[in-house]
Amino acid sequence: MPPERRPANPWLPALLSLIIPGSGQFLLRERSRGITLFLTFFALLGLVLWTKTYALLAPLALFLLWIARDAYQIARGKQPRWGAALLLIGLVLYGAATFVTEVRPVRLITGLPNVQPYLRSLLSPELFEYPTEDLIGVAPIMVPCVDPLPEPNREATVSPRVITLPCTEVGDVLTISGEGFEPNATGQVQWVDPLGSPRRATLNGEVVTFVADADGRFTATLLVPQAVPLTAQPDPGQTLTHAVRAVQAIPTGDLQPTQTLSLVIEKIGETLALAFLSTVLGVVFAVPVSFLAARNLMGANRLTLAIYYVVRTLLNIIRSIETLMWAIVFAVWVGLGPFAGTLALWFHTVAALAKLYSESIESIDPGPIEAVRATGASWAQMVIYAVLPQILPTFTSFTLYRFDINVRLSTVIGLVSDAGLGFLVIQWVRLNRFSAMATAIIAIILVVATLDFVSGWLRERIIAGRPIISRGSPPVRSALRLLLVAAFVAAFVWSWRIAQIEPMELIRGAPQGLALAREFAVPEIFTQPTTTQTISAPLPVPCGAVDAGEPADEGIALSAECGNPGDPLVITGSGLPPNRQVSVRWVLPDGAFLRVRAGCCTTTPEGTLTVETTINPVVASQEGQPAAGRVEITYEDVAGRRQLSDTVRTVFNLSILTLLMALVATTLGALFAIPLSFLAARNIMGDSPLGKTVYYGLRTIFNITRSVEPLILVLIAATWVGAGPFAGVLALALNNIPNLGKLFSESIEEIETGPVEAVMTSGANRLQTLVYAVVPQLVPPFLAFIIYQWDINIRMSTVIGFVGGGGIGQQFRVWVSLSEYAAAGTAIWAIVIMVWSMDYLSAKARERLV
Amino acid sequence: MLEIQNLTKVFPDGTVALKDVSFRVADGEFLAIIGLSGSGKSTLLRCINRLIEPTAGAVIWNGQNITAANPSELREIRRQIGMVFQHFNLVKRSSVTTNVLTGRLGYVNPFWSLLGRFSAEDRQRARAALARVGIEDKADNRADQLSGGQQQRVGIARALMQEPKLLLADEPVASLDPVLSHSILRYLELLNQQDHITVLCSLHFLDLVHRYATRVVGLKAGELVFDGLPSELTPAKFKEVYGEEAEMVSVTPQNAS
Repeated sequence: MPPERRPANPWLPALLSLIIPGSGQFLLRERSRGITLFLTFFALLGLVLWTKTYALLAPLALFLLWIARDAYQIARGKQPRWGAALLLIGLVLYGAATFVTEVRPVRLITGLPNVQPYLRSLLSPELFEYPTEDLIGVAPIMVPCVDPLPEPNREATVSPRVITLPCTEVGDVLTISGEGFEPNATGQVQWVDPLGSPRRATLNGEVVTFVADADGRFTATLLVPQAVPLTAQPDPGQTLTHAVRAVQAIPTGDLQPTQTLSLVIEKIGETLALAFLSTVLGVVFAVPVSFLAARNLMGANRLTLAIYYVVRTLLNIIRSIETLMWAIVFAVWVGLGPFAGTLALWFHTVAALAKLYSESIESIDPGPIEAVRATGASWAQMVIYAVLPQILPTFTSFTLYRFDINVRLSTVIGLVSDAGLGFLVIQWVRLNRFSAMATAIIAIILVVATLDFVSGWLRERIIAGRPIISRGSPPVRSALRLLLVAAFVAAFVWSWRIAQIEPMELIRGAPQGLALAREFAVPEIFTQPTTTQTISAPLPVPCGAVDAGEPADEGIALSAECGNPGDPLVITGSGLPPNRQVSVRWVLPDGAFLRVRAGCCTTTPEGTLTVETTINPVVASQEGQPAAGRVEITYEDVAGRRQLSDTVRTVFNLSILTLLMALVATTLGALFAIPLSFLAARNIMGDSPLGKTVYYGLRTIFNITRSVEPLILVLIAATWVGAGPFAGVLALALNNIPNLGKLFSESIEEIETGPVEAVMTSGANRLQTLVYAVVPQLVPPFLAFIIYQWDINIRMSTVIGFVGGGGIGQQFRVWVSLSEYAAAGTAIWAIVIMVWSMDYLSAKARERLV
Repeated sequence: MLEIQNLTKVFPDGTVALKDVSFRVADGEFLAIIGLSGSGKSTLLRCINRLIEPTAGAVIWNGQNITAANPSELREIRRQIGMVFQHFNLVKRSSVTTNVLTGRLGYVNPFWSLLGRFSAEDRQRARAALARVGIEDKADNRADQLSGGQQQRVGIARALMQEPKLLLADEPVASLDPVLSHSILRYLELLNQQDHITVLCSLHFLDLVHRYATRVVGLKAGELVFDGLPSELTPAKFKEVYGEEAEMVSVTPQNAS
C-alpha cells in the first residue's frame, strides 16, 4: 500500500485483528481479505465446536496469530504469503472432517478379513455348473454316552451307509467310515443336531471333506461339536440323538448355467428395460417442457417469463434430488417394484433432459432463422429448416448421454426398489452369497462398459454428422432403417412389460402420494412447546352422599350438580381460547377417562363452549354407590416461544456431515488419483513396452472400476470398515480415484509441449521440467475436476446412506420407513439447498480458475 | 565452433526431415536458416540440442560430441545453449519472473528449485535480464497477460539466464506482427554483437536475412541447398531454395527501409 496510507503504528491493526479476526485488514482497506479471514476463522471455530474436536483449537489459535501478523505486515507495506495460513486452515478443516466422518485407517486393515471373501469371489463368479443330485448317508449317534443307552429316535441309511460309534462326548475326536458312496468323488461330512439341522463338521478349524476310494469307501475324523445350546443341556443321565451325515453332490447331466446366472441375465434385461423406457418416456416429456424452459422462446412477455422461471425452478429442485431418493418416494406411492424405479428414473430424466435441451435451444444461432424467414417461409417451415437442424444433433447426443446415466442408475435403483441388478447384489450381500454377488457385479461392469462404448461410438457419429447406417445400397439401407425402427418399437413394448408399468397404481396410490407431497412441501422447521390445560367440575353419579372432591374450576359449569346415567346434562365453558379444538371428557374416580363425544369440540370465536349430552353410564361404575365422577375440558396451550424443531437440528448436523464426507472423499480420491494419472497418460508413459503396458493396464482398471457405482462399493466398504460415514467416504473415494484418474490423465495428455521443450532446453532435469513446465499447466484443470467431483460427491453422499454409508440419506430412509414424511421432507429441502449452494459456489470457483 | 556432420533425421512415420546435412558455424556468427515450412529448419535446430534425437550424423560443439553425450552431460551442454521459440513456449499461468528463472534450472540446486526457491543472486540476474529486454515492469504479471512481442522478449530473457554461448532461435518472429520483427531481432543482434553469442536463427523474410545475418544456409526438403553470405542470395538462388512459385516479400515498408 502507498506509504501515506500506512498507520503510524503497525501494532494497532495487528491488535485489532487479534480481537476481531480480519478487522485490522479491513481497516487497512484490504476489505475482501478482511472479510474472508473473518468468515474463515468463524466457520472453522464453528466447525471445531460443533465436532467437539477441541484439540484443533490450537492450530486455530495459531491461525488467529497469523491473521494478526498478516495485519501487521500489511501495515508495514509488505505482501505476506498465504502458505502457512492454508496449512493451518487445512489442518483444522481436515482434522474436524476426519473426526466426524469417522475415518479410521486402522479399520482398513482390521476389516480386511471381512472383505476378503468379496474380493476372492470376484474372481470366481457363478456361471455354469453341472446339475447335481445329493447322495446322502446318515448314522445316528447319541451324545453324551449314558448307561443304559436308549434307542436313537432316528433311522440310519443303509446304502450308502455311514458307520460310527453308538455314542460319543462333546469335544471328542470321532472317526467315521462310509461305504456305498460314489467312487472317487469328494463329499462333505456334516453334524446333525437333535433338531435335525445339519452343519459342517470340522477338525482343528478345517472343514471335514472326504474322497471315496474306488470301492466307494472312506474314513474321516471330526470333532464332536457342541450342537446343543449350553442353556438347553439335557439333565445328567439324559442323552439326545444327533447324527453324522456324509453328503456327495453327484453331477447328473450336462453343464448348464447356474440359477444365479439365469437370474442375472433376467435382471440385465430388466436393468436395460428400465433405462430404455425411462429415457424414451423422459424424452417425450422433456421436449415440450424444454420449450417452456428456454429463455429465448419465453422471454417475450411477463406471463411467459413467469412460466419460464417457475419451470426452471421446478426442474432444478427435481434435479438436485438424487434418483434413488425419488425411488423411495415413488415406492411409497406405487409400492416397491420395477414401476417405482422406472418412475423415479423417468422423473429425474425429464428434469435433467429438459434443462439440457432448453440450454441447447437457447444457444441456437438466430442467423439461419432470419435467413429462412427472409425467403418467405412459414413458421412451421422455419422450425423444420432452421431450428430442428440446429438442435437435433445436440438433443440426440444429450439423450444418449442420459441413457448412459440411466443404465448406471438402473443398476443401483434396485438397492431401494427391487428392480434390476442392484436388487440381486444387495440381496446376495445380505445372504452372504459372495460368488453370486460377484456374478451380478461383473454383469453390471459388462453392461455399463458395453453401453458406454456403444453410446460413445454413436455420439461421435452424430456429432460428426455421419449417418448411423452408412453401408449397403440405398434399398438395403432403407430396409435396415425400417428394421431399426421395428427393433425400437419392439424394445419399447418389451420394456413396458418388463418394467411392469401399471398406470392404475398411480391413481390407486394417489391419496398416499398426495399426502406425501403435501408433507414434503411443508418442511418441519419450527415447533412450539405446548402444555395441556385442564379445567374440571365434580359430578357425583348417582346423586347421593359422597365427597365430590374439588369444587368446579373457573370457566366450567354443569347444568346439574349430580345425576343418574341417562340424565340430560349441559356442559358450558367460558374464557377458553377462541376457535380451539378442545376435548371434553368424563373422568372416573380412578382417573380413567372417556370422551363425551368423538371429535368434540371447537370453541366459539368468543371462547365459549356448550355441549349438550346425557350422563354416560360408565361414570356410575360402582353398583348403587354414588361415584365421585368429574367432567373436564382439556386443551393444548402454547407455552414458550417457537423454536427450531429437533428435525431441523438433526438435518443440519447431517448436512454438515454429508458435506464433510464429500470433502474427505474427494481429497482422498484426488490424492491417489494424481500420481496414478501420470502413469495413465500416454505422453508421459511413452512408447516403451513397459510404458504401454502400464498405460493400458491402468486405463483398463480405471474403466472397470468406474463402472461400479459408489452405491455398490458402499456395500463392500460397509463390510470392510463397518457401516457408517467412513464406509461412505471409502466408497466415494474408491469411485473417485478412477474417475479423477481418467480426467486427470486426459488433461495431462493435452498439455502444451512448448513450455516443456523450453524448460528442457535450459538444462533442467526431468523433475525440474515437471515442476516448472508441466505442473503449472495442470493446476487449473485438476482443480476444476476436483471441484466438479466434489459437486457429484455431495449428491452421491446424500444417497449412499441408504445402504450403510452414513450421512443424511440414512436418516431420510429411516424417516420414510417410519412414515415421518414431514421430517423426510425437511431432509429433502436441506439437500436441495445444499446442492444448490454448492453448485453455485463451485460454478463461481471454476469461473475464477479459467 | 559448431560442426554439423552428415546429420540425418527420419521420423518413425518415415518422413525424412534431414538428409545428410553438413556445415560449420564459427563462433560469433549470426547464421540465418531459410527454407519453406517443412523443409527441416526446426528439426535441424532441435537436433543441435537434442530435443529431437538425430537418426544419423553428429553435432560437434567446441570439440564435444553432443550427439553422443549421456543424459547428465547433455544437461550440462543444454544449459550453455539458449533457445527461443516461434510460439514463445512460456508457462502461461506462471509469472514472468518464474518463467525467466526457469532458464536458470540447469545451474541451481535441484532440490531447492523444486520448492521454488532461487538465490537472491539469480533473482537479481532475472531482473537484469528483463531490464535488458525492456520489460522489467512486467516482472510480476502472469505470462499470458503480455502481448506477443513482450512474451518473446521474456523468452529471450529466459535464454539469457542460461548465460549461453550459442542461441538457437526457431522462427522467433513468425508469430508476431511484422512490425515487431525488427524489435526482436535487434535484441538477438545485440546479444550476438555485445555478448559474442553465436546465433542460429531460422527466418522467413529475406529482407530480415539481409539485414541481420552474417551467413545464410538454405534447406529444401531436408537437404542443404545453399550456404553463403546474404549478399550471395540472389533471386535465382532464392527460387532454388523456395521453388519457382515463390515471390520475395518484405516485412519493412519500402519507404521506411
